[in-house]
Amino acid sequence: MRSVKLLSLCFAVLLVGGLSFGACAEEKLYVYTSMKESMLGGLKTAFLKKHPDVKIDFQSAGAGKLMAKIAAERESGKILADVLWTSEVPDFYQLKEHGLLLPYIPAESKALLNPLPDYDGSFTAARLGTLGIAYNTRLIKEAPKTWDDLKKPAFKGAFGIANPALSGTAYMSVAVISRTFGWGFFEALRANGAKMGKGSGQVVDDTASGDLVASLAVDYITLDKIDKGATLQLVYPPEMLVVPSPAAIFKNSPNIEAAKKFIDFLLSREGQSIIVEDGTLPVRADVKIPDRFKQLPAVEDAMKRAMKIDYQAVMSEKEATIKKFTEIMQKK
Amino acid sequence: MNTRAKPVSRGFGTPELIFLLSVGVLVVVVAFPMLLIFFNAFWVDSHFNVADVLRVLQREETYQALLNSLILSGGVTVTGTIVGTFFAWLVTRTDLPFKATMKLLFLVPFMLPAFIGALAWKMLLSPRAGYINRLFIDVLGFDGPLFDIYSYAGIILVETMYLFPFVFIQVSGALERMDPTLEESARISGADLFTITRKITIPLVLPSIVSGALLIMLYSMAHFGTVAVLGVEIGVYNIPVLIYEKIHQSAGSFDSIRTATVLATVLVITAALILWAQNRVLAKGKYQIIAGKSFRPTELKLRGLRVPLLILCVAYIALTIVLPTATIFLVGGLKTYGLPFDLENMTWANYNHILFEWDLTRDSIWNSITLGLAAALITMFAGVIISYVIVKMKVRGKGFLEFLGMLPFSVPGSVIALGVILAWSGKFGINLYNTVWIILVAYIARYMAFSLKANSAALEQVHDSLVEAARAAGASMAQALRDVVVPLVRPGMIAAFFLIFLPALRELTVSVLLYGPTTRTIGVAIYTLNEDGETVYSAALAGIALVIIVVGEILIKRLVTGKSGA
Repeated sequence: MRSVKLLSLCFAVLLVGGLSFGACAEEKLYVYTSMKESMLGGLKTAFLKKHPDVKIDFQSAGAGKLMAKIAAERESGKILADVLWTSEVPDFYQLKEHGLLLPYIPAESKALLNPLPDYDGSFTAARLGTLGIAYNTRLIKEAPKTWDDLKKPAFKGAFGIANPALSGTAYMSVAVISRTFGWGFFEALRANGAKMGKGSGQVVDDTASGDLVASLAVDYITLDKIDKGATLQLVYPPEMLVVPSPAAIFKNSPNIEAAKKFIDFLLSREGQSIIVEDGTLPVRADVKIPDRFKQLPAVEDAMKRAMKIDYQAVMSEKEATIKKFTEIMQKK
Repeated sequence: MNTRAKPVSRGFGTPELIFLLSVGVLVVVVAFPMLLIFFNAFWVDSHFNVADVLRVLQREETYQALLNSLILSGGVTVTGTIVGTFFAWLVTRTDLPFKATMKLLFLVPFMLPAFIGALAWKMLLSPRAGYINRLFIDVLGFDGPLFDIYSYAGIILVETMYLFPFVFIQVSGALERMDPTLEESARISGADLFTITRKITIPLVLPSIVSGALLIMLYSMAHFGTVAVLGVEIGVYNIPVLIYEKIHQSAGSFDSIRTATVLATVLVITAALILWAQNRVLAKGKYQIIAGKSFRPTELKLRGLRVPLLILCVAYIALTIVLPTATIFLVGGLKTYGLPFDLENMTWANYNHILFEWDLTRDSIWNSITLGLAAALITMFAGVIISYVIVKMKVRGKGFLEFLGMLPFSVPGSVIALGVILAWSGKFGINLYNTVWIILVAYIARYMAFSLKANSAALEQVHDSLVEAARAAGASMAQALRDVVVPLVRPGMIAAFFLIFLPALRELTVSVLLYGPTTRTIGVAIYTLNEDGETVYSAALAGIALVIIVVGEILIKRLVTGKSGA
């Protein structure tokens, strides 16, 4: 008889589980984003304080996963997402081409620095991601100053770049570097034993552990680990990799007013000050970068040094670029 | 059962209705997704198309993946069989000290998910930073790493550690069941030990060895985690990993999904070949295994080797179980990966964060537990009904039912996941993609066979006369089922429940293809955290998962043994 009790208990658990799966039916502002949860937590609290009437829910996952979800939602007839905020700029151009985005010029657009060409408000950069060279201070004594330094013997066999097929930022970096310096640059790195890793976070962790001596690294991931005591340092060569993370509103969103409030909040001084706490650049010159992120350059400086990005080409040449890069990096 | 008599509908007793219902469930959940894979692989734009299939097959990455699958699973099969057979012989046929304990310990690797093992070994043996390699380079003055885990050998090694129990269980079972009088009569006739082993023991045990070996091969062919963790960096991938990458990159594009269906077809064919080989071996084996009532087989005296072999066993267990588990827990307690294990670098914060603060990981634990419970309960009840049809009812076409139910048993997890994507992402009116339900449907399809096996075994022991007697005494069919059959098969049902709940809890291969932003399972969360470079969080969650799994195992043992007494 005990097993009957056990079974009914299991049923009860199941029922509660089923209810909670279905409990997201009420109206909410859905923000699909690839940003880190620690940053989202701060934004959510501050936004709720300002707009207590708007319920906000972040769905956070990799940009690829989110796009797959959006594609599936589109097919079933209703996109659940109201706002999309990732670092995959090509995705936004694609969505815009399909007429899915609502152009909206943010309230404080005058104060914003815009890195995107042909800006029409369909999507607005909400932060600037940068990629630099993270190196393990136990293993590398002299910081690399230029991209060409990576060809030196100090980095032999242990420089890592994330897999561009898995990581959007890695793809963007590979595309931009190969267009700026030519494929010869990666061939030379490979000749020095450079490796292709997995995710863009993993190459940084592998650098921290010493499996790699250095890697092409995303700013906030590296700075977070430095903050926690990892023996890492982050430096930027003169030509910088700056990848904006745009935010956009979906045209068919039922919560357009709430979505606009969110975008405005994101780009306000307050929103940007929260974003900057996570170790990434703001899109406003009037937001101060915290002292503990002394590695980060000033925003205007970064925009000046940034390598040019041709988004159309980045979009259309994705498959070919990844293939070429993989070929080079897997050459024996 | 308690007396709260539920009104049972009149039609319940009709065998045909139950039969049709079971067929319906199996067709929708199992057969339909499978068929869609073949359909999508060969049927493009409403006509039969082989050219495209050939094009995918001719791609270098496809046959490279197939080749890698064969190399890896072949390697694991050989090493796993040797290790498994050796230890099985050691604990059954020798006078090794603490044999019974050792036998239990050798089953522990079965509980540990192989991909968590892979994570641990990555931390221990990555070429420059692995703790063991660092020890050899920094302390003992080696020039290079002792062993590079990022290699074919590394992958084979890790999979062997966690898959050898397949052979171990089969072979130790066979060695225990074997009639020792056969060996004794050979000895009396003057044969020496070598001849006995060669002519009697090995031929008798060979079918078990081979069938265990094929199980390892089947599992390894379809295995995602270890290769994904250790292989991708050096460009080594097998078919499940390639399917994952295709689906991952697709962002909903149908072309990549189609490529994946072709890959899945290749995988299914390979798996079918392995199973076919296994059936042949087992069919032959029936003549040879003599399941005599257990006499105590003669034990080989190890004499001077007793202690060294015991040390070997203990060392093996320490190296493959204790060391990786300890590493997982320790790394999970580091402030950030790469710091030495000094007390000042350790913190409880990661565990705290994962259990109480972080939505992603809390969701994943909750998802895995509810998914596991739901899948186990549904398959348990459906399994009882379907097994009842298969074992007890005299309906035509029940062979087909059995075939349908057992089908996913041989089909690799990534193939099931792919079929489920094709069937339930809106093409046929129901869109479950990116919801937790699609994972549930896939789990039900995947684990139905487990439930059928356990329940059929239990039902076969219930003699028909019992039901007939109940009927003769005036009970309705429903009453007979409820009061006679169900209480008798309850152990089978409970066994089925746990056979499904525990594997589902640590499942990765299926859910990694199906998860959405809020529907990560524990396996997926560990895997993606590792991929995102959150090594310490990944390790901490893996540690928590291990605790949940071990507690679960212990509870079951308690529950199942407690039950049989009642």
